[in-house]
Amino acid sequence: MAEPYLVVEHLTKVYERGHVVALKDVSFEVQKGEFLVIIGLSGSGKSTLLRCINRLIEPTKGRIFIDGVEITKLSPRQMRKFRRKIGMIFQHFNLIKRATVMTNVLTGRLGYNPTWRTLLGLFPRSDRELALKNLERVGLLEKAYVRADELSGGQQQRVGIARALMQQPELLLADEPVSALDPATSHSVMQYIEQMNREDGVTVLASLHFLSLARRYGTRIIALRDGELVFDGLPEEIDDRKFKEIYGEEAEEVEVR
Amino acid sequence: MARMLPAKVERGRLRRRLIALFLDWMSWGYVAYGVMYFLNDYWWRIPLERFYSTLTLPPWGWPAAVLGTLAMAVVCELTGYSLGKRALKLEPKRERPLTREELLRGRAGKPFWRTQWGVMAVLLLALTVALGWHIVKIDPEALIHPSPRAREMLSEIFPPDFRYFRVPDPAFELRGLPYSILDLMVLTIFMALLATVLGAAVALPLSFLGARNIMGFSPVGWLVYGVVRGFFNIFRSIETMLWAVVFAIWIRWGSPLAGIMALTVHTIAALGKLYSEQVEGIDPGPVEAVVAAGGSRAEVIRYAILPQVIPSFWAFTLYRWDINVRMSTVIALVGGGGIGDMLFYYKNEGKWALLGAVVITIVAVVWAMDYLSGRLRERIT
Ligand SMILES: Nc1ncnc2c1ncn2[C@@H]1O[C@H](COP(=O)(O)OP(=O)(O)O)[C@@H](O)[C@H]1O
Ligand SMILES: [Mg+2]
Repeated sequence: MAEPYLVVEHLTKVYERGHVVALKDVSFEVQKGEFLVIIGLSGSGKSTLLRCINRLIEPTKGRIFIDGVEITKLSPRQMRKFRRKIGMIFQHFNLIKRATVMTNVLTGRLGYNPTWRTLLGLFPRSDRELALKNLERVGLLEKAYVRADELSGGQQQRVGIARALMQQPELLLADEPVSALDPATSHSVMQYIEQMNREDGVTVLASLHFLSLARRYGTRIIALRDGELVFDGLPEEIDDRKFKEIYGEEAEEVEVR
Repeated sequence: MARMLPAKVERGRLRRRLIALFLDWMSWGYVAYGVMYFLNDYWWRIPLERFYSTLTLPPWGWPAAVLGTLAMAVVCELTGYSLGKRALKLEPKRERPLTREELLRGRAGKPFWRTQWGVMAVLLLALTVALGWHIVKIDPEALIHPSPRAREMLSEIFPPDFRYFRVPDPAFELRGLPYSILDLMVLTIFMALLATVLGAAVALPLSFLGARNIMGFSPVGWLVYGVVRGFFNIFRSIETMLWAVVFAIWIRWGSPLAGIMALTVHTIAALGKLYSEQVEGIDPGPVEAVVAAGGSRAEVIRYAILPQVIPSFWAFTLYRWDINVRMSTVIALVGGGGIGDMLFYYKNEGKWALLGAVVITIVAVVWAMDYLSGRLRERIT
């Protein structure tokens, strides 16, 4: 087997405020091109795990390697540069609501441009062309100069995807990308993510609420329960017994079509 | 996942109970002060030296007052749901579940005026009104029967005399030059404008240094945050009029620069505080997104924070402009220059008709600026 693209070793995160152990000694590896889905109940640590991987949250213990680089050792400055390779999309989209779609998409290029230029809003022509290309890709070209808060939830998440595409990422972190969307819209958004994975070869780590979505899109699944890794395997390996282990005894599986 | 440390929680509760006790103690101290005041005012008419002032007590008085009020507070604390407990939301433990009747009425137990804290709150409120009335010695009669001087003034102020609206009044000179109402009004408007623009320009960058979420939790961050916030709070609590006195003495009595400086300093502190609270209240989502894309701190401010706070910054600035226009018309009273110089000159000379013209001009300008900024604010939000 090839050298893994992402290695997480003994990752632990303790939130000082509230004395919460959000992640307990989590270790796993991801190969290039995988679509890894993270499942688990609310509060099981999915968001914390994803944010440790691009160090939006500082891990308490453990090491993380991406493409052979130990990112837990990088200085804040080096980390900022490294983040260009890591796209991220969020449950609540995290768009700049009062700004246009175009501005939102262009923020994906912040890491590639000198600060003095971006502060003046001067993005190079090539960036603007790339922005239009990516907006076209997610079917929002005609919305380029509409304010972000005038779009529907599904459209906003597609702007989020276009913004991530601007980074031309090798790795995409998606934190419950469809939890705020209805089932039909969910599939359209998931398909754009799947397309990034298949066509652009982006390695994807996505946390998902519904097991049915995880089965449909994931090439591999890991499960967290109270901050501990309780499953790591293929989608079809999750049977009834495993399911109850992850989600608790009372849980019932529901379908999202 | 959520491992709470019980010891910590207990300590927190104990702290809150102590604060509650302290509040009750202070409340009783206030009641005792009120009682002493009325005793002095009504019954101890003979000016006994040691009881003459409320806070002049006999040697045993202070310990008695301190311990007596503390005892009252402790009793309150032990016997019921005291005001202090209520303020800190330390609700008593409920022995029985709510009855159906209580659930229907939507409130557990008694109406508030029959609870201990309710009685205490009403008592404090009544005492405050009564004390205020007596300390200030309010005399309603004086309101109804104006003084003879007021009658004279009212009869002369109408019709107002606008003769010096455009033409300078030769009798009124500032530093050897005569001025008209219009001259000074324009000067005053520009004083307010300059102070607002300068104040906002300085407050804007400072407000980010005074925002918790920007400065982070490093020791340096805490220090800068503390210094900036302290600056805002202290400078804001010194009124514009006091600043004017300071600058008028520093520069020259009656200099418009003193007025501008006073308005500017207070504007910086007031707007700085309001701005930083806005920055602290932003949605952190976009910040996260910009950081995740490799954005620097400056880029976070430019792309994730400014778009969120600019509309309210504008609203606050316009609101401040209103205040500054109003302030600048009277700041001359304390040496700050502007149209107030004319206002107080005519008042002192008893030229009521000319004074009327100045007052009407001020009212018209303040009203117009108020209306303008109100309309602008509407358009922004
Ligand atoms: N900033 C924080 N401070 C303190 N505790 C936090 C913070 N963020 C998350 N937690 C706690 O950490 C645990 C894991 O949270 P999270 O990673 O958000 O889980 P998930 O995304 O799976 O819902 C929860 O118990 C949550 O309350
Ligand atoms: Mg989450």
